[in-house]
Amino acid sequence: MRAFLDMGGYAAYVWPSYALTLTVMVLNIIWARRLLKRSRKEALRRLAIGGTEV
Amino acid sequence: MAWTWFHRLASPPHVYRVAGRLTPWLAWPATLLIVGGLIGGLVLAPPDYQQGDGFRIIYVHAPSAWMSLMVYTTMAVAAAIGLIWRMKVAHAVAASCAPIGASFTFAALVTGSLWGAPMWGTYWQWDPRLTSELILLFLYLGYMGLRSAFDEVQRADRVSAVLAVVGVVNVPIIHYSVVWWNSLHQAPSVMRLGEPTMPPSMLVPLLMMLLGFTLFFGALLLVRLRGEVLSRERSASWIREALHP
Repeated sequence: MRAFLDMGGYAAYVWPSYALTLTVMVLNIIWARRLLKRSRKEALRRLAIGGTEV
Repeated sequence: MAWTWFHRLASPPHVYRVAGRLTPWLAWPATLLIVGGLIGGLVLAPPDYQQGDGFRIIYVHAPSAWMSLMVYTTMAVAAAIGLIWRMKVAHAVAASCAPIGASFTFAALVTGSLWGAPMWGTYWQWDPRLTSELILLFLYLGYMGLRSAFDEVQRADRVSAVLAVVGVVNVPIIHYSVVWWNSLHQAPSVMRLGEPTMPPSMLVPLLMMLLGFTLFFGALLLVRLRGEVLSRERSASWIREALHP
């Protein structure tokens, strides 16, 4: 386990690379969901004020 | 006859509905491939004979770099379709691509820098591959900045689409930079003519990551696309239908 974490002496480069990439992936999921949620809310708000054209 | 499916394909309610239904079919295979690729790349693949375990950065660096180019190409093609056929949905696709592409370009640059430090002895070099990839990041950021400068979505769509289409010349420059110029960066080892230069134990996890990231992009794109389509929509009847099933 220690050998795995040590990455043959490259731990300081390997693990930050993986951490950053996974962070970017998680952020993308959060951002995409947030965009959809906000658009839904905004569309509902337009529906509440508008008629056939919102 | 041929035009009916084209119009159906491009009609916002259809896109909204189909994108919603399709998302899990991309997201789940993406998750499985990425988890499998991570195990294969971090645990099962043997250390490289020159770079030891340091080479394992490839399993996050290469897929991120692939995303940066593939997403930009998708964005430029969608923008061109939007410009030529004045298709709202195509512009929505282009707009959805930009933040995804920008973030993975950033990841490609930083993971590349973290790989370069121990192997090349430097975090950064004004090298053709590195410089053209940095320009790609600026293209994405410029595209997003340009969009946000317009209040009206239709104008933002048209103006930003021109930038996206013009900027696509950078994509082949990035890809061939390591062939055309002397570069610190290695030449392609997977996307090349002929045999890949890796044994299967190293190659299979990489291919899983590349495919996994591609499907992940598809899933992200579909979620964002629904938001973009909804925000462009002015017809009350289908919004009501879409949001109150």
